[in-house]
Amino acid sequence: MSEAASGASPLEWQPRAFLLAASGAALLLLGVAARNPAPLFLALPLLLAAPAAAFAGPRSPPSARVDTRAEGHGADVLFRGSVTLRSDGRAGDLVIECDRPPGLAESRPPREGRSGATVTFERTWKIREPAIVVVPPVRARWRDPMGLVERAVEVEASPTIVERYPPEVARIGSVPLRRTMLLPGESRSPRLGSAGEFHGIRSAVPSDPPRRINWRASARAGDYLANEYEPDRTGDVLLYLDARPSSLGPALDERLLGISRAAAAGIASSFLREKARVGLAVFGEFLDVVPLGMGRAHAQRVREGLLGARLADVRAPSERGAIAAARYFRPGVTTLLLSPLAEASTADLVPFLRRRGYPVVVLSPSPIPIVAAERTLSDEEEAIVARLARLLRRQRLAESWRYAPTIDWEDYWSLAGFVSFLHRPLTRRAG
Amino acid sequence: MIPPAPGRGGRLAGAMSDALLLVAAGLFAGVAGGDRALLLAGTLVAAGLGILLRRFGGARTRPFAPVPVLGGLGLAAVVSPLGLVPALAAGAAGLVFLLWLADDPHRPARGVRRAGAGLLLPALAVAMSWVSALLLPPGSATVGVAAGLLAFAIGAVAFLVARPRLFDREEALTS
Repeated sequence: MSEAASGASPLEWQPRAFLLAASGAALLLLGVAARNPAPLFLALPLLLAAPAAAFAGPRSPPSARVDTRAEGHGADVLFRGSVTLRSDGRAGDLVIECDRPPGLAESRPPREGRSGATVTFERTWKIREPAIVVVPPVRARWRDPMGLVERAVEVEASPTIVERYPPEVARIGSVPLRRTMLLPGESRSPRLGSAGEFHGIRSAVPSDPPRRINWRASARAGDYLANEYEPDRTGDVLLYLDARPSSLGPALDERLLGISRAAAAGIASSFLREKARVGLAVFGEFLDVVPLGMGRAHAQRVREGLLGARLADVRAPSERGAIAAARYFRPGVTTLLLSPLAEASTADLVPFLRRRGYPVVVLSPSPIPIVAAERTLSDEEEAIVARLARLLRRQRLAESWRYAPTIDWEDYWSLAGFVSFLHRPLTRRAG
Repeated sequence: MIPPAPGRGGRLAGAMSDALLLVAAGLFAGVAGGDRALLLAGTLVAAGLGILLRRFGGARTRPFAPVPVLGGLGLAAVVSPLGLVPALAAGAAGLVFLLWLADDPHRPARGVRRAGAGLLLPALAVAMSWVSALLLPPGSATVGVAAGLLAFAIGAVAFLVARPRLFDREEALTS
């Protein structure tokens, strides 16, 4: 049995095809019962329409190439792309299905254009707060012009990642970090290696892999020459996400974790650009870790770790998070803890981390702006509740300040205060 | 930059097929017997309702647009008298209805052109049936021939609908 006949998507009859067939059958019965040819003549095109549309359409599942990209900046997300049929076909019959990830709202109606075998599409979304989200692959379907039959188009598409974080994060990479290794530092290391910045050329030795040979230089010199690189580490930073549930409720916790994830993505990307080593720890019920590392492959690992970070079902004790961190990261690694500090039982992670020797700076996304946006009380009551919430929050942050610098993050689209705070010399001493 | 969808003239999109449907429904109701004025009004109202539903209906109500049109045409077909002209008008109304379905203003332009091959088969079937009816002696023979054709068509439709893989063409392993 061929692939088309076994595994590929078959024709799918649409409800309209059944409506036409049922109407045709009813007219046929009426025509025969009344011995009247008019209903029969009306029934004939209705009965034949669906099979004729199926015969006129593609006889095997069409395949298409999909290109997508996410553009825009700030809260605006412009998701655009194209679907191009590989086989002969007309784009006019293609229906593009594009799922909007949660947390994004449509700000303009979708737009599509067709020329030849290509459909170009554009979706304009608004993102509520900083986030790192995955837009699922676009799907395409062939549908006959009468809307009677459909067939799924086989597309080769990968998910698109949308990252939105405050723009100030781009400057955070220049913050001096603590060093936890023997040689790395703010000054360039003399140690040479196989990765990092290009340092120079030397004569090749038999143990050099082919990719280290500088072929052009070798051709000019008439002898094998190899590239040398110097690792350039400015320091180490650990991004520690608190993914434990709190009394705020799963919906609010999820949104706050999403904001933390986005900030962590921006911070990691900025430090990795500066060739610092970045590690990731997500503390839910247990600690999920991406060890310290640098480079593009590591950036991808960190991103995957962040995308996989989920809110835990169980609130684990804070001490567990600190003990587990000590298994993977040396004491002394500058630690950026992203936690809403919603409760005293979760806020005590800070002293536990300090006790294990991690210099911690806390960035705490505040739940108050989200709660305040969902107004359920009168203006007067809302004002009182907001004031009480702020007092409570201030007290929680003050308690956290006893152990580590703690920055309250209320304006989700700006981290200017946090970045300028990290640049102060005081921060370096605070650890 | 995404170019605008070709040929979609805003509110005028699909206007030709709407007008054609109204004319076909009106003609069919006109040649049908009974209370002509009432039938004509009923068929036109049904067709107009379908047009309005398709044009201005929401995403949930739009799929039901063909229902009143089919109801109006079916009513006219049931009360129409015996004869070749009503039969021809019924077949033509059915074909125009399919053409109207193909020219959906909410879908890309040139739907009728793209549906050409799909419309050709029903048109040929109607033409053959009508010519057969014209050439055969009048009376119940017409009904018999048409009923035979339709019974065959229904059987074929049921068979094909139950086996959608029959429409798949196997890909050649070598090109």
